[in-house]
Amino acid sequence: MTHSPFRLGIIVVLIATAFSWQSPPAGAQAAPRQLRIAVGIDADTLDPVGGTTTTVNNMVDYFYETLVDVETTPGEIKPKLATRWQISRDGLTYTFTLRSGVRFHDGTPMDSAAVKFTLERLLDPRVRNPNRHLFAAIKSVETSGDLNVRLTLSQPSPILLASLGTTTAAILSPAAVQRAGDRFSVAPTGAGTGPYIFKEWRRGDSITVERNPNYWGQKPSFEEVQFRVVPDAGTRLTQLLAGDVHMAMLPPAPDVKGLRRNPRVTVVEAPTDRTVFLVLNNQWGPFKDVRVRQAMNYAVNKKAILASVLFDLGTVSVSPCPPMMFGGIPVQEGGWPYNPIKAKQLLAEAGYKDGFEVNFFAPTGRYIQDFQFAQAISAQLRNVGVRANVSTMDWPSYVAMILTPPDRTRVQMIVLGWAWPVLDCDGALYGQFHSGVAHPPTGLGPAYYKNEKVDALLTEARQTNDPNKRKALYKEAQELIWNDAPWVFLWTQKWYVATVKNLEGVKVTPIEKWHAIYATWKP
Amino acid sequence: MTLGSYLVRRIGVALPTLVGVTLAIFFMVRLIPGDPARVILGLQASDEEVVRIRRELGLDRPIYVQYGRFIGRLVRGDLGISAVTRAPVIEEVATRLGPTAQLAVSSIVVATAVGLGAGIVSATRQYTAIDYLVMTVALCGVSIPVFWLGIMLMLVFSVYLHWLPAGGYGGPAHFVLPTIALAAFSIAIIARMTRSSLLETFNQDYVRTAHAKGARPRAVVLRHALKNALIPVITVIGLQFGALLGGAILTETTFAWPGMGRLLVNAITSRDYPVVQGIVLTFAVIFTVVNLIVDLLYAYVDPRIHYG
Repeated sequence: MTHSPFRLGIIVVLIATAFSWQSPPAGAQAAPRQLRIAVGIDADTLDPVGGTTTTVNNMVDYFYETLVDVETTPGEIKPKLATRWQISRDGLTYTFTLRSGVRFHDGTPMDSAAVKFTLERLLDPRVRNPNRHLFAAIKSVETSGDLNVRLTLSQPSPILLASLGTTTAAILSPAAVQRAGDRFSVAPTGAGTGPYIFKEWRRGDSITVERNPNYWGQKPSFEEVQFRVVPDAGTRLTQLLAGDVHMAMLPPAPDVKGLRRNPRVTVVEAPTDRTVFLVLNNQWGPFKDVRVRQAMNYAVNKKAILASVLFDLGTVSVSPCPPMMFGGIPVQEGGWPYNPIKAKQLLAEAGYKDGFEVNFFAPTGRYIQDFQFAQAISAQLRNVGVRANVSTMDWPSYVAMILTPPDRTRVQMIVLGWAWPVLDCDGALYGQFHSGVAHPPTGLGPAYYKNEKVDALLTEARQTNDPNKRKALYKEAQELIWNDAPWVFLWTQKWYVATVKNLEGVKVTPIEKWHAIYATWKP
Repeated sequence: MTLGSYLVRRIGVALPTLVGVTLAIFFMVRLIPGDPARVILGLQASDEEVVRIRRELGLDRPIYVQYGRFIGRLVRGDLGISAVTRAPVIEEVATRLGPTAQLAVSSIVVATAVGLGAGIVSATRQYTAIDYLVMTVALCGVSIPVFWLGIMLMLVFSVYLHWLPAGGYGGPAHFVLPTIALAAFSIAIIARMTRSSLLETFNQDYVRTAHAKGARPRAVVLRHALKNALIPVITVIGLQFGALLGGAILTETTFAWPGMGRLLVNAITSRDYPVVQGIVLTFAVIFTVVNLIVDLLYAYVDPRIHYG
């Protein structure tokens, strides 16, 4: 009996050895039949209209396609299921010519009837569609022949064409949708036209797609792709290093520095349109004074925090609307400068020579290193006399806090991030700074910022079709907002994935997606 | 009273408990701040969309009406549909119950075998090097957080040795590491309980008698002492099994295991009330059944206990 612990050890080793050929190490090896990607979350729905999460959209993009392509070249709108389109001079009529000979995975033709069905479905109030407001301008959809579709708008909508390129507006097979009925959100068999076909969703575990042999465009190189749901970032990285998966989204941020030097791994990273900032409640105590808000911007050393807490996974904000978006301009190169002396001066001028105390909330795990950088900011603010005590809470509670009316809100200073699926300043600014729509409880701009001039500029810019005029309007609005300092402008986040070295051609887009459909394997 | 009527009485007692559980969970989940409609739709959704979903989910009705509907459906065996995926809650729970139950069973089997063995070894060699070694390892077992142990196991056995997959659900190989990680705590608890319970019985008269009449030491330990020492151990094993089913959340997250614990966490963070209710109710039923089985085992182990 004395030997039993050792015997047990031997048994464990034997069992382990028996399975030891299951996962050969990554490295020099032939191209796998199945490309495996570790993702952080499971899908909530596979109905493209119901999607709220970029990563879920990213997965369904493998089997659905849209009329226009807004993602291959950010800022440009290219043909996809539509080959040509025309917009009337008044901006109220859009005519699309569809690609001929395209079939859905269920064999039915992709034609004008399918497009009409899809667009009417995403406007149908009985269908859950969180992004319906993007398409609210569509009044009617008419077909003419098999390949022509005409949209009539109730008012000009400069963002409509780009919105038709978002996953929400993916073109669906009417037959497949009707056949699936209530099950469409969990088993959307045959409904898309994309380069891959939906095969299986094992809930909580994986989603598998297989190559579409009849795809109209370029065929991808992997026969199958499997998305594995791995909620823990550390485990995603472990699976990549163990060779169980070939690509992992968002490995732990603190590991990225080491991974960039790891010869067996490629880190693919790129800037996105997600701005991260401190909301200052402009109707609360000291923050009513623009000098205090400016002082807060001077007091935070964004560059230092980016380097030491975010591992360079961000770029200092230079404007309320990231310059990569339509209309975005760098208002101030390098962002608000770090200048604690100036900050103290401004605070003294505003009557806060000895600083003040402020409640400071940050979420945990929502943005890169969020709770960690909040603590760094709190320490820097202490240097100018602002005592900010950081607390955190879970995300739904956080959203509930944001959505409280101004007279009851607990928001004094909070961390928030904002991104938009359409790369247009309308998305970056309207919902945060237009006082008519942004203020909670109905809006999501808890800064309670109000500037009538800005309101007018933002309204005009979303009703004008002339791109140059819109750019001018957004330029003025961004400058006004920047100097009013309703936020502490921090940075725009990067987005990143890690792949095994053999996998080539993976890209990351500005709207937090990976592009790996046409990735290839180099032995 | 027969065993049958005992069972009927126990089930009679269990029912009000379960009704109490439905009440508690129904109201508790609604007390946490956060609007399900807003959480489900995401930040970009318009306000009118949020109002629409709130109506669809029945959240615009008074809370007693909501509870009435919930109970009304429940007695017909319907747990409602998930607010997020809109699949039936029964289906959501059923697809996750299997992986969780398999992992819990494999862990409790390993934990019982190893824990009992280690406890017996330790007790029969009290204050020797082996005893100290086993108890030190057991102390580590209760102290090491499962997510750390899980990552370490994966680093060693998956990344460096390439013996076993690093998480994920699948064939027997996928079970090895999560079972070890999940069982570690229970092994330690069972080993410590077995040791102390055995040591107590060693001082009893009947053990001395057994020794005196010349029974072999092995028989004295296993037949005379151990059987009498088992009651608290069985209680602990029963509690551990319940904890393994419900407490596997961290293990399931670390090992990407598609089980109930993770479903519960996701449901709570997305304020998916029907799914939270369904899972908690399932856990409550399982706990009740496990407790009942433990009570019945007492009678088997100790013939002095009668339910008849």
